[in-house]
Amino acid sequence: MKAMHFFSIVACVLIGWGTLQAAEMRVWTDNQGRKVEAELAVLRDGYVTLNMAGGKEVRFPLNSLSEADRGFVRENAPVDMKTAARQIDQMVWDRLKEANVEIKQMRAEVLANEALDSAERNKQLARLAHMEQMTHPTSPMTDQQFLRRIYLDVAGRIPTYEEAQDFLRIRDPNKRTALIEKLLNSEAFVSHFFNYVSDLLRVREGISMGGFANLKSGAYIDWVKNQIRQDRPWDEFVGEMMKAEGYLWENPATGYLLTDFGMELCNLSNTFTTFLGTEITCAQCHDHPFEEVYQMDFYRMASFFGNLEYKRNPDKELLKTIAAKKKEFSAQAKKEKKDAGNVNALLDAYAMYVGDGPKNDIKLPFDYKYDDGAPNAPVNPAAYFGDIIDLKEFGTPREAFADWMTTDRNPRFTVNIVNRLWKYVFGIAQIEPAYNIPGHLDGQAQNYELLKFIESLMKSVDYSVKDFLFVLYQTETYQREACHASPTLEMMDKGQYHFPAPILRRLSAEQIWDSLVAMSVKAPEADSRRSNLLGEYRKIMSTNWKSVKFAEAMKIRNRYNNLGKPAVMAEVDPKKNPGPVMIRASEMRIPNNLGSFLSSFGQSDKKFIENGNKEGTIPQVMLLLNGSLTNQIMTSKSKAVVRDAQAKESHDDGIDVVFFSILSRRPTPQDRDFAEQLVRGGQGRAADYSDLIWALLNTHEFMFIQ
Amino acid sequence: MMKKEMSSFDDLSRRSFAEKTAAAALGLSLAPTIDEAIAASSVGKAKHVIYIYMGGGMTHLDTFDPKPGAETQGKTGVIKTGVAGVQLSEYMPGLAKSFKDIAVVRSLTQKTGSHGGASYWMQTGYKESAAIKHPNMGGWAQKALGKMHPQLPDTIYVGGGGGPGSGFLGASYAPLPIGDPSKGLLNAKSPVPKPRMNQRLEALNGFNRSFLDKYHTDDVTAYSEFYDNTLEFLKGKDLDVFNLTKEKKETRDAYGTSGFGQGLLLAKRLVKTGVRFVRVSNGGWDMHGDLWNRAPGKINGFSKGIATLINDLKAEGLFDSTLIVLTTEFGRTPKINARGGRDHFPRCFSGMMAGGGIQGGQVYGATDSKGMGVKENPVAPDDFNATIATALGLPLEKRIFAPNGRPFFVSQGKPIQQLFS
Repeated sequence: MKAMHFFSIVACVLIGWGTLQAAEMRVWTDNQGRKVEAELAVLRDGYVTLNMAGGKEVRFPLNSLSEADRGFVRENAPVDMKTAARQIDQMVWDRLKEANVEIKQMRAEVLANEALDSAERNKQLARLAHMEQMTHPTSPMTDQQFLRRIYLDVAGRIPTYEEAQDFLRIRDPNKRTALIEKLLNSEAFVSHFFNYVSDLLRVREGISMGGFANLKSGAYIDWVKNQIRQDRPWDEFVGEMMKAEGYLWENPATGYLLTDFGMELCNLSNTFTTFLGTEITCAQCHDHPFEEVYQMDFYRMASFFGNLEYKRNPDKELLKTIAAKKKEFSAQAKKEKKDAGNVNALLDAYAMYVGDGPKNDIKLPFDYKYDDGAPNAPVNPAAYFGDIIDLKEFGTPREAFADWMTTDRNPRFTVNIVNRLWKYVFGIAQIEPAYNIPGHLDGQAQNYELLKFIESLMKSVDYSVKDFLFVLYQTETYQREACHASPTLEMMDKGQYHFPAPILRRLSAEQIWDSLVAMSVKAPEADSRRSNLLGEYRKIMSTNWKSVKFAEAMKIRNRYNNLGKPAVMAEVDPKKNPGPVMIRASEMRIPNNLGSFLSSFGQSDKKFIENGNKEGTIPQVMLLLNGSLTNQIMTSKSKAVVRDAQAKESHDDGIDVVFFSILSRRPTPQDRDFAEQLVRGGQGRAADYSDLIWALLNTHEFMFIQ
Repeated sequence: MMKKEMSSFDDLSRRSFAEKTAAAALGLSLAPTIDEAIAASSVGKAKHVIYIYMGGGMTHLDTFDPKPGAETQGKTGVIKTGVAGVQLSEYMPGLAKSFKDIAVVRSLTQKTGSHGGASYWMQTGYKESAAIKHPNMGGWAQKALGKMHPQLPDTIYVGGGGGPGSGFLGASYAPLPIGDPSKGLLNAKSPVPKPRMNQRLEALNGFNRSFLDKYHTDDVTAYSEFYDNTLEFLKGKDLDVFNLTKEKKETRDAYGTSGFGQGLLLAKRLVKTGVRFVRVSNGGWDMHGDLWNRAPGKINGFSKGIATLINDLKAEGLFDSTLIVLTTEFGRTPKINARGGRDHFPRCFSGMMAGGGIQGGQVYGATDSKGMGVKENPVAPDDFNATIATALGLPLEKRIFAPNGRPFFVSQGKPIQQLFS
């Protein structure tokens, strides 16, 4: 697949794209031995452009470079995003055409089959008509449709009124590509993609140990966001979490392993589901009933984490102090009739350390019933697919595991992430369900050729999620109106859905909330809870507990409890600004409290992989119909949508503002008729758009991504 | 709830996966769906369940399993029940009087002392796991028997309490939470006058028209159905079921004016309207200290409330078709601690069942003379849930596939046959 690396590069894409592709200074040699230090910019029409230090640009024919440099260019020249996007479109188109021919043939067979009675024939014809409809691509999106969808998909929210105006005003034919790039590089993308990743990884506030310790995980949350912000390659990101060592406040990447504190076997199952798209949970207790996964395989895999010791804290002196202090604080609390529980929960955080011990303590279960091992027998680490691992090459078995899992030779690691990201963009994965890809793929996928293509694309972009998404969002396949109908269960089952367009999706809980934020404030990402979280965390945890008395410990506990609380929450005066503080969902408590807006609309509890849902419930509808959010909060004068609309002289212009602010489009003449009936006030008083705002927030159009 | 099942893509893919894998294993073209599998079995006597959950770990010695004379008993005395040799704690005159209608289980036992894990285990019958979440009994019943009420969810949780919901069955099986029974359903009333609301709705329909004309996906159809059904529900008389002021003051008082008492009354009203599974939570049992100031009034209150509920259900003709269940996550230590309280004790604790085909006036299982351990007929969480399932007529022997393809049973326990009449 290296062939798609270069040539025929479309300039407009690459110029803007430079920011996402990391380049490095190196010494170049031409075939006459002359040297120059520069970084690789672009390969176009057989010429290499190099940027020298100081900004000077030089251009060489590719074949004038040394053989080693030519090789380097081939390996490292930026992937031609536009061409890759077109190749995807072509593959989609070819498969749709093929399917169309197949269906027509099936239709002819049904018509010719005299054994069918008319009812059965009509049933089959209707089924084929539905399938045929699904082979026709929908119309290309209008700019207004594109605007709303790309904001929701990349930024996780609708555009603000200004953002919508700005985009629609531009006349440049490349404005869509430019917007995709801008959004992928924005803080809004970090927020939105974090919601997705945290649902996969089950990132949540506070990690406990059987309900006892209270480990603040804000530093881990920030770390995950940072990896997204920096576009850390997916393989490195995942690998680091597998290998991480230390306290969470020293090394926030330990958060992943700590999430399943004391449940190593469950953690392994979750790791397989999340990063390899392989469901092996059942093999924890018995051989997989349908696939070639044996209970022994599970334990051999688990054995990679057999040296993992959550409590392996090298500082024995500290642990002694902590134990003594817990006793002291409990006694003092009893005397003062206060609750020492919270202080002790903080002290228990010192027991939550990720390290590797000398002993591998994975054993077969006591009731192991197969003849390839005895109950309670020790098990050595071994992988049941992919590369054979030589443990001697690695410091610890889990380092070996991380290497095995994230290498581009692992047959499932890359397929898993591209399949998941395809679903993230188009609504349906190439292989469903995405968390359980069959061990032997054998051409199974909605479009197998395309799946193989995007797998190599991911390798070509060195596991840059942003680059990968940039290609998918540029496809015509993406930039079409959502499917008007749903594929049937049978079509999904048989791999007969070939992506005539993305499917119509309901907004996630976070997208709804974040869209309300975009209607409320001019800069929805301005407020975050990032402060000196890690610094304060480390300061608290470096307390010299030996000399701390109970009263002071309670004060430290208060500081500890405040770790990671969004600062902005405390600053807002509720009298001036009624209702909730409008900041992005990713900056609030994760997950948000039960009964909150977010959990009502299906935000994941982050306890299980991909546990968010988009299903309707009675409380949701009642909240939209009668709740204070749609009736008071979003219609109050503090909200940008209200202020922007009221700043307009005429009702007509005000109605336009409300439509742009909520649906990112102009009202149709019919919409305008209905809208006018809802605008109240006027005649010396400011027009009241409350009812219009209420109505648009209650529309299906607001709830779905077209 | 009004949404068609399996309409979202996640459901589609999950079910199709379960079917594919099952087909591969069993050599069938298609394994029966969960609904078909369960519906094939016989139906029990109970049509509804009022599931009373004592959150925090209810003390067994001071309620259903007193040990008069034992040093572990503390200050709690006993009261006769009308059945020879059976006594309850002195704080329970209400249930002592209704004893002929209730069956007490004194031999519940499980293996974890943490609140979250234990209450999960108790309410699902499964040990908590980081890899799958199991449904509550209301979810299983809906899966097996189908939706009961046309608009209201089949499972309603009254009085908070958290705990497991519909698990892997998904959001259409999720419980509807009612925090404060006296306040009823949140956001049920429109904040604007009716004519203005109608005007809004008319415009809303206008705005929706072109979108609905264009998109005919399952998700959109389901969302529309859902939205419209909720509007219907809000206009209809079923909404009154949440309005406790429709009850006479004497009735409300008879249940007890606490949130829990009012919750029981709401539960009865919901059951009467056709809701299948109502959980009423009674939290605050985690009495590590000061037990004899906190517990007596609380015990007296729930005992009176449940006795009233039994009589009320009888008067409505609903007692035989409504199973009342009372349970908790664990008992409390027989040893009284230095703060005058009792600590977590999963080794033994008590529960109760009544109505719905349960033979009243009996005690099942027993603990030793100090209430320190189960002496006979231990009942594990899955046995207790299997008993509820049997009362409802849910099949225990059918294999049901979770969305990740793993097979599950409603419960793997053994029902307590002795409880049934």
